[in-house]
Amino acid sequence: MAATVRPVQRKEFKFRESSYLPEVLRGLAITTRQFWRNLVGQRDIVTLQYPEVKKRYPNRFRGRHRLMLRDDGQVRCVACMLCSTACPANCIHIVAAEHTNTSIEKFPQKFEIDLLVCIYCGFCEEACPCDAIRMDSGRHSLPTFSRSPQNIGKIDLMEIGSLSIAKQGGKNA
Amino acid sequence: MPTLKIDGQEIQVEKGTTILQAAQRLGIRIPTFCYHPGLSIAANCRMCLVEVAKSPKPMPACHAQCADGMEVFTNTQKVQETQKAILEFILLNHPVDCPICDQAGECVLQDNYADYSLSPSRLFTKKVHKAKAKPLGPKIILDAERCILCTRCVRFGDEITKTGELRVMSRGEHSEITTFPGKTLDNPYSLNVVDICPVGALTSIDFRFKRRVWFMSATRSVCTECARGCNIRIDSFQNKIERYVPNYNPKVNQWWICDSGRMSHTRWTANRVTEPRNTRTESSKTAISTRDVADEMAKALVTSGKASAFVLDASMPNEDAFVALRLARAVGSRLYLGGRAQNGPQDELLRLADRNANRTGISAIAGPSPLPGLAEFQKDVASGAFKTVLFIGGEHEGPDKWAKLLEKVSVIGVLADIRSDLVDIAHIVIPAAVPQMREGTVVNSHGRVQRIRQAIRLEPAGVVFPYWRILKRIATTAGLEATWNSERAIFGEIVASMPQFAEMTYDKLGDLGLPLGSNGLSDVDVDAATRNIDPSAPQYRKTNINSRMPWQH
Amino acid sequence: MLELILLSVAKVMGIVMVFVMAVAALLTWIERKQSALIQNRVGPNRASVAGLRLGGIFHLAADAVKMLTKEDFDPETDNPLMFRLAPFLAVVPVMLLFAVIPFGPGEHFLISNVGVGALFILAVSSLGVYGSTIGAWASNNNFAMLGSIRTTAQMISYEVSMGLNLVGIFMIYESVNLQDIVIEQGSLIWGWLPAWGIVLQPLAFILFMTASIAETKRAPFDLPEGESEIVGYFVEFSSMRFGLLALSEFIGIVAVGATAAVLFLGGWQIPWVQGTGGWLTVAQVGAMILKTLFVVWLQMAIRWTLPRFRYDQLMRLGWQYLLPLSLLNIFITGVVLMFVEQGRI
Ligand code: SF4
Ligand code: SF4
Ligand code: SF4
Ligand code: SF4
Ligand code: FES
Repeated sequence: MAATVRPVQRKEFKFRESSYLPEVLRGLAITTRQFWRNLVGQRDIVTLQYPEVKKRYPNRFRGRHRLMLRDDGQVRCVACMLCSTACPANCIHIVAAEHTNTSIEKFPQKFEIDLLVCIYCGFCEEACPCDAIRMDSGRHSLPTFSRSPQNIGKIDLMEIGSLSIAKQGGKNA
Repeated sequence: MPTLKIDGQEIQVEKGTTILQAAQRLGIRIPTFCYHPGLSIAANCRMCLVEVAKSPKPMPACHAQCADGMEVFTNTQKVQETQKAILEFILLNHPVDCPICDQAGECVLQDNYADYSLSPSRLFTKKVHKAKAKPLGPKIILDAERCILCTRCVRFGDEITKTGELRVMSRGEHSEITTFPGKTLDNPYSLNVVDICPVGALTSIDFRFKRRVWFMSATRSVCTECARGCNIRIDSFQNKIERYVPNYNPKVNQWWICDSGRMSHTRWTANRVTEPRNTRTESSKTAISTRDVADEMAKALVTSGKASAFVLDASMPNEDAFVALRLARAVGSRLYLGGRAQNGPQDELLRLADRNANRTGISAIAGPSPLPGLAEFQKDVASGAFKTVLFIGGEHEGPDKWAKLLEKVSVIGVLADIRSDLVDIAHIVIPAAVPQMREGTVVNSHGRVQRIRQAIRLEPAGVVFPYWRILKRIATTAGLEATWNSERAIFGEIVASMPQFAEMTYDKLGDLGLPLGSNGLSDVDVDAATRNIDPSAPQYRKTNINSRMPWQH
Repeated sequence: MLELILLSVAKVMGIVMVFVMAVAALLTWIERKQSALIQNRVGPNRASVAGLRLGGIFHLAADAVKMLTKEDFDPETDNPLMFRLAPFLAVVPVMLLFAVIPFGPGEHFLISNVGVGALFILAVSSLGVYGSTIGAWASNNNFAMLGSIRTTAQMISYEVSMGLNLVGIFMIYESVNLQDIVIEQGSLIWGWLPAWGIVLQPLAFILFMTASIAETKRAPFDLPEGESEIVGYFVEFSSMRFGLLALSEFIGIVAVGATAAVLFLGGWQIPWVQGTGGWLTVAQVGAMILKTLFVVWLQMAIRWTLPRFRYDQLMRLGWQYLLPLSLLNIFITGVVLMFVEQGRI
């Protein structure tokens, strides 16, 4: 496709505009009107008083991660590391271990997400073959006074997790 | 000499060549599972079926021999349908454990499915379940569900180790690999079955769940566990060595390595020496550096002069040995060749009794008169001939009590890569790099010069150095001239001064090495060697240690 | 003598401490609140005492506590003395301005009735540039130094036209004593029009406002330092030292407000009301304060209305427009006065 060039005509300033003063006064009139309107009259204010008033997030909002659970409450994740492979920020750190139950076999002994590094891209939940990690909690990352609590671990991730309707191990397992 | 056509390309081959080998020579890929160049041909997986003109049925390329005037097609619709059918059959009861399967990423079944099938499962009944995570021995775990019954592991036991522990039990979809009742799979080469198993049915307990394979960086190197010098691939992640696997070298180890060599990487990570130490002088400094202790060592050597001795490590690369010999001769020290035991386990396959990697190389560099060994050293040191002794390498086969033997020596120095009781009693400990952190060459017992390569960065940086760098520092402090700046440069000097190494360079040594006295001419048919690599084995990214991508660290 | 000293101290306390400081402190909150309302926001409202928020007025106290307890950073500098002195050099001149400003009729609402009050204002307000320049130089930081160079260039440029603007006022009221000027503004022209500076010198008023906003380094002339975007001359100052520098800016706003009120808005005069004494004096002081606050409000409204100038635009405005216009203003005033005076005689 050939590029189309569309010349944009610059607006020429008339004397009224280039002499500043009338325009300055006009601007002052607008700001003053808005000031008084918001001070005494009808309020156009759009700010939400956050902790008291909360906005409903859209359904596809990507919030804090959560780790889904098996029927017996164990972690659903099988430590396949696909999420940490997909993660562009390199912030998922998993240490896998052998599970005593041979039908589970592998599970994450340590599962940490560094939320300060995470860019909330959602690649991890996209990559997960087991519906084990999700970002549909609708929660923000929590503000904290130090860095370390932002590196959230398995327990915290599972706390807001829930059961998944997907069948563990696929349909013919 | 039959002449045949594969996919329209004509080729002439020796009698007895299989279609698969001929196709390989033409660069045509035929998928395989059960074929392994080092084992007999079983032709039981049927993945390699190709169409041959005038033949009513497709033929297994790994087994069918070329005949004159044959016309082979590897990519017709019929072949494609066959491949799909075979894969569907193999995958029928396959658990598709990929997320928890250690083989994922280097799995031949994954690769072949992705390249030749990609059709969904049509199974509507339950899959057949078999034993999961069943230990076959102390080193290996079997997942019978993932096994595709290629019998590579069975053939390895029968033909290579001749121990024959494994067999296929039961029939049809209930067939399962197993050991004889009451027997376990435990021989000195058993872990090779983990490598040759095309799927994740056999996994090594040591590496199980440790790291996904795609995270790791691969470096070709040489095992330093014994004098054989088997070729290995060092897989590392975030500057940590995760595992050794064999690399094919027709002149040394073929496709295999022994289990103790494979596990030897743990030796290099568990007890490293990472701090300089000097117990002789009270230092006013709060922390002493490697340079400080090296300088201290240099002073002691110069002061003792002829009353000093160097004990070389028979595993140290040629480059280090060359520098050490120069230094010792300039100072006037006596030289001994130490190292680990020479009476280790030995067999006809690979393992050699000499547990040192470079005795041949050091002897070649030391010149015509052989260096005296540790026995002579013990005698001489007991007679009180030495005031200063510098050991190179932490591990030397020695008396039960080094302390007693060396009590008359006033300065005991060690350039130590790993900890030992010798290191514990030494006065001056200079931390040195382990072999995986550096470049160099070693010569195996058969006189093959091979390269060891740097797989991980020097760590802790600024504290550990390769032997030759420390020796260079000692030489400079002792007032000698030392201008080498890289292993390559030192090797260049070795080549210039030793006729046995004539014409060699690092680049000519390449992956497969050269024999001593070969004048830089290779004795390997590289083409044939390439074709002898397991065709189903995945290709690995070579690592350039200095230009790693961020995710490789 | 003692009586005079005590009286002066009382006046200083009354005017500077009670009025100026209180207004300047309040301005830090008002400014945020006003800008919020202009931009359809709420502004600071979270600080509370015993659950009482009062529109966030306690942010003043919170800010003070914050300023006093923050790390007092000392940059590595060869001139620690100068560095420490700089905030005072910035804040003292703007406070000095109030010494000559009459807040009401008579002697009591004026700290010192200097004969050349208007010139004193011009002279002292120029001193402010030392604070920023010395502070920036002593903080041993290239960005601060560049900021202070911008400051100096800007302040010198606009001082010229600021001074020239007032010449018209001096010509009309035939005095440079501020109390005299205010008294003169009490008369009526044609019997109904107050003879305020803004009426007789409208052009000068506009030019004066422009120049003095530039003098206080506020938007749209905030190139010396632009809080979040431009690294400025006090980048190395922290804690209360930064607080003083920021405060000097707000005191400067009040000073400009008071000066403009005195020179152009009739000072403490209430239009059409003659005489002084008793409650009327109180009302007149109140009028002066109201006028001051109006100009203060105007400055803030301007800040949140106009976008920032580019530096070349700033310089061009100062030298190519303000200066010739000021000269023109003097010329016209002179010509008009010539005819008026002739008519009078
Ligand atoms: S959201 Fe993106 S950045 Fe965050 S953990 Fe998941 S993959 Fe990584
Ligand atoms: S991708 Fe899913 S199953 Fe795999 S490690 Fe991540 S969370 Fe666990
Ligand atoms: S053997 Fe291969 S295909 Fe089977 S589960 Fe393991 S990785 Fe997946
Ligand atoms: S265990 Fe592996 S090597 Fe052995 S038969 Fe099964 S798939 Fe083949
Ligand atoms: S049948 Fe040929 S590779 Fe298995």
